[in-house]
Amino acid sequence: MLGKIFDVLSGFGLATITLILLGLLTWFATLEQVDNGLYPTLNKYFATDWGHIFVLPELYINGKYVPVPPLPGGYFVCAVLLVNLILGGIIRIRKGWNHFGNLVAHFGIIFMLLGAGVTYHFSERGNMAVSEGESSNVAEDYFEYVVEVAEIKEGKVEQIHVIRGKDIDDLAAGNLRTFRLPDFPFDLEISGYLPNAVPVSATERAPDQGQLIADGYFLMEKPKPAKPEPAEQYTAACYARILPRDAGKSAPFILAGASFHPFSYRIQDRTFTVDMRKRLWPMPFTLTLNHFTAAFHAGTMRPSKFVSEVTRSESGGEAKVTIQMNEPMRYEGLTFFQASYGPPGAGPGEKMYSVFEVVRNPADQWPKYSLIIVAVGMFITFMIKLVSFLTAGSRKQRHV
Amino acid sequence: MSNNSSKVGRWIAAGLALLGLAAVFYNLVIDNMPKGEIRQIANYTAWNKETLKIAETIPVQDGGRIKPLSTFGGFKMLSLHGARSMEIKDGSGKPVKITPIGWMMDTLFRPLLAIKLPTFRIDNSAVLEAIGVTVGNKRDRYSYADIEPGREKLIELAKSYEAIEKGKRDPVQDQLIALAYNFREYESLLGYFGFARTGVELRGSGKNGGPDQRADISAVMLTVPQIRESVAQTTAQGLPMDAHIQSLMEQVIDAANNAKFGIIILPPADPEEKIWFSAGNAIASSIGAAKQSPQLAIHDIKMLETTARAVEEDEGDFRTKLTTLRDDLVKRAEARGDYKHIALEVDFYRMNWFLNALAFYILASITALAMWTLGAGTAGRVLFWITLAATVTGLVLCIVPIVQRCIIMQRPPVGNLYDTIIFIAANVVLFSLIIEWMTRRRFALGIAPILGTLLIILARRFEVGDANDNMDPLVAVLNSNYWLTIHVLTITLGYAAGLLSAFLSFIYLLTRGLRLFDDDRDMRRFFTRAVYGMVCLTLFLALVGTVLGGIWANDSWGRFWGWDPKENGALLIVLWTLSILHARLGGYIKEWGLHFAAVFTGAVVTFSWWHVNFLNTGLHSYGFTTQKGTLWIFYGVILAILLFGVIVQALEKNRLGRKS
Repeated sequence: MLGKIFDVLSGFGLATITLILLGLLTWFATLEQVDNGLYPTLNKYFATDWGHIFVLPELYINGKYVPVPPLPGGYFVCAVLLVNLILGGIIRIRKGWNHFGNLVAHFGIIFMLLGAGVTYHFSERGNMAVSEGESSNVAEDYFEYVVEVAEIKEGKVEQIHVIRGKDIDDLAAGNLRTFRLPDFPFDLEISGYLPNAVPVSATERAPDQGQLIADGYFLMEKPKPAKPEPAEQYTAACYARILPRDAGKSAPFILAGASFHPFSYRIQDRTFTVDMRKRLWPMPFTLTLNHFTAAFHAGTMRPSKFVSEVTRSESGGEAKVTIQMNEPMRYEGLTFFQASYGPPGAGPGEKMYSVFEVVRNPADQWPKYSLIIVAVGMFITFMIKLVSFLTAGSRKQRHV
Repeated sequence: MSNNSSKVGRWIAAGLALLGLAAVFYNLVIDNMPKGEIRQIANYTAWNKETLKIAETIPVQDGGRIKPLSTFGGFKMLSLHGARSMEIKDGSGKPVKITPIGWMMDTLFRPLLAIKLPTFRIDNSAVLEAIGVTVGNKRDRYSYADIEPGREKLIELAKSYEAIEKGKRDPVQDQLIALAYNFREYESLLGYFGFARTGVELRGSGKNGGPDQRADISAVMLTVPQIRESVAQTTAQGLPMDAHIQSLMEQVIDAANNAKFGIIILPPADPEEKIWFSAGNAIASSIGAAKQSPQLAIHDIKMLETTARAVEEDEGDFRTKLTTLRDDLVKRAEARGDYKHIALEVDFYRMNWFLNALAFYILASITALAMWTLGAGTAGRVLFWITLAATVTGLVLCIVPIVQRCIIMQRPPVGNLYDTIIFIAANVVLFSLIIEWMTRRRFALGIAPILGTLLIILARRFEVGDANDNMDPLVAVLNSNYWLTIHVLTITLGYAAGLLSAFLSFIYLLTRGLRLFDDDRDMRRFFTRAVYGMVCLTLFLALVGTVLGGIWANDSWGRFWGWDPKENGALLIVLWTLSILHARLGGYIKEWGLHFAAVFTGAVVTFSWWHVNFLNTGLHSYGFTTQKGTLWIFYGVILAILLFGVIVQALEKNRLGRKS
């Protein structure tokens, strides 16, 4: 019995089917992202939760809907493929010099998939915007909204408690969770989280789905625009209540990524703020933007170069670095990429700012190593096949 | 029996192939035929070849680089006229073929003749009906003078259609907007030398009631400091500006505006300044509106005036003036290091390399068909050598221009969609010749020129449809010769290998359907092995290329994989070829299955190479084109081939069953 299971799991049949399934998923996801946006499409096709064990592709050919049967979710197909690859491509595979290349190639692919897993689970990314002549030592996450509770003393932030996005993003309507804040004289209750919403005045518009009204406002999901907006532009929002240790609950209030000011609260003569914002990520060094250049091909609007000249300073000293397209700065496990700049349409002499994408990825260079392994493996295999073909006897016969 | 059917099959195959070739010829002829009746243009005389040779090498700044006037004219002509040549009859009724440089020279220097040339290609006459112009055939060519009566309506309608969101407009609205842009652009070329032809009117200069005198713009530019001084004095005294001076200044500003766009041909004096000047910029600089040095601006305008005016007298005289102008501009461009590859580029277009390659490929395709049909024997051997020689010549005629393009562009051969087509055209032929060398069965040799022919036709079609200079510089993210070499070339070679494996399998299915090798199992085995080899090569190149692309993306955007459509397309090729190889190892597909799968590879490669560009999303935003219909035809052909294969397989099974 076990032997049979092993045979199936390590077999060519499973390899073929999972590869084809993965191809189909990729194809459908490619077509679907045009209408639905990249982020939601990826979440649908490659989500890691059991709710996405099957996905139903939406296929439109020339605007007409074509029904497609459900397919297994991408994450699970990849998991099966990885098992198949290890069992079939490493353990069961025929050994010997003729098959050595295959073994190496399979090993390289496993290494690459491992890299993808490490990147998926352990990498962090955000962005840092710096104006010319100014410095920054924090990056902001692209997607993750957090709730930040802080005490303000004499106009300065004294103590911060951050509630991470993963702890609140499952609190859709009806669900609530209490967060204990041991360093503060109160706890916080959060409910009704929406990934992309704005507060709307109840006097301007009545709630259409019986939403909770807090202080004259309620949260409304943003309408879906014709061209899907990138997920970086989402503004999350939720409802919250203060739970002082010695008294009852405060009235509910709204925390929204789209609002400009935090909610402030006074208790026992102390002032606190509660805010919803993209997560800030402190860097181990400070970056100063000395000069930014956006060059265009002469007489056109076609960019030829984006160059940021920066100074990186840390306790140990300073270094001058140039960050440009295709040439990021890699330092202390962090990588800084030239991502964007502004202000748009700036005239000559205007003060520019530069935006860096900041990534911490322990598997940053793994694809490079695995590529070398895979390429060498495949090369050996195919060369052996080619040589055996060329040395086969009947080749020389001429024929038409 | 099988021998007989094989012979019949051979002739059927040859017939089918000839039909295909005839379709190709028809396509080419239709492409190059003038649409509608050839116009006779009174007073038209063709330019002297020597004059055109000089004009070709005038440097122009356009699309972010310095290029010869002939290249500039070629792509302008493609975008307006839809072809690189135009046929008319001159004043005496003699047919004249106008080249891009001739057309450009007419437009700039002989606008009164140029407005009668059938410059504008209109694909749907409804566009002209909408602006109240009398029309001919649905698809026809019109002159500026034909369309001019509807000019106002054209601009008005284009403005109103532009307010409609892109994608929601109907094709006629899109074409009308395009025509309005083309029309305005053409006007900027027609009126470019207007300042030189008319000069300015010196109001009140006519003596004794005679007409006012005229002066050259360059002469007025010389007096600008004095004019300024006089204006400053009158303004200081609180007096209104003198009416004559005001009129003069207005005319100068008009002249500057009329020659502001069109062609940018004047190198700046400052070696650090990258942006060149148009005649309009030079005129404007005299009144302080541009950065060119006033002395140089006056010198330039004087030179342009002299040249433009000489055309009315005698072409020999004009040529002398044009040569002086060209030499002056070239000398300055050379001093700036901007003229390095202009001569090479002029030569590149003059040689028409790909058209010549096409001729050799077509010749080789015909001899290959004859070679296959006649089989072994002396005639077959002779045809083999002719096919080989013609194919190799065609290949060389493809490689030389690709190398020339690299030198001109100072980058590796592939950076845009057009580059991929010619690169694939060359490599598919090269791969086929390598297979021929390995197998010596003459099948790959014949396939080489046929595929070469098809791909070069595709390149020509694409160039016409796109009508953008395909040697213009690349955007910042692609501006990396290292990555362009290792990632882009690998992945493009992967496309070439994938397409070749699909075509080989198509030929396999065709020959099997026609029972050509019923008595030659060996031949079939070679076909299958060649396809298997190409699938392996496709996998190797696509996989290495895709991962290299990921590594590049990791260096430029900070992520290895972004699910961008172009990346996904490449991944699809990898996954598909991997599943073919695994299915084969598992015994799920055998000979037939391998060929079916390889034919389908053609569809996967097409999706990756072309289709994702139409999705209009993602970061690889180069080469979005509009002719999506052709893609569906191609997918249809692949489906038809697969269906044909299935029927052949069923028939064969049936036959074998009866035999046993």
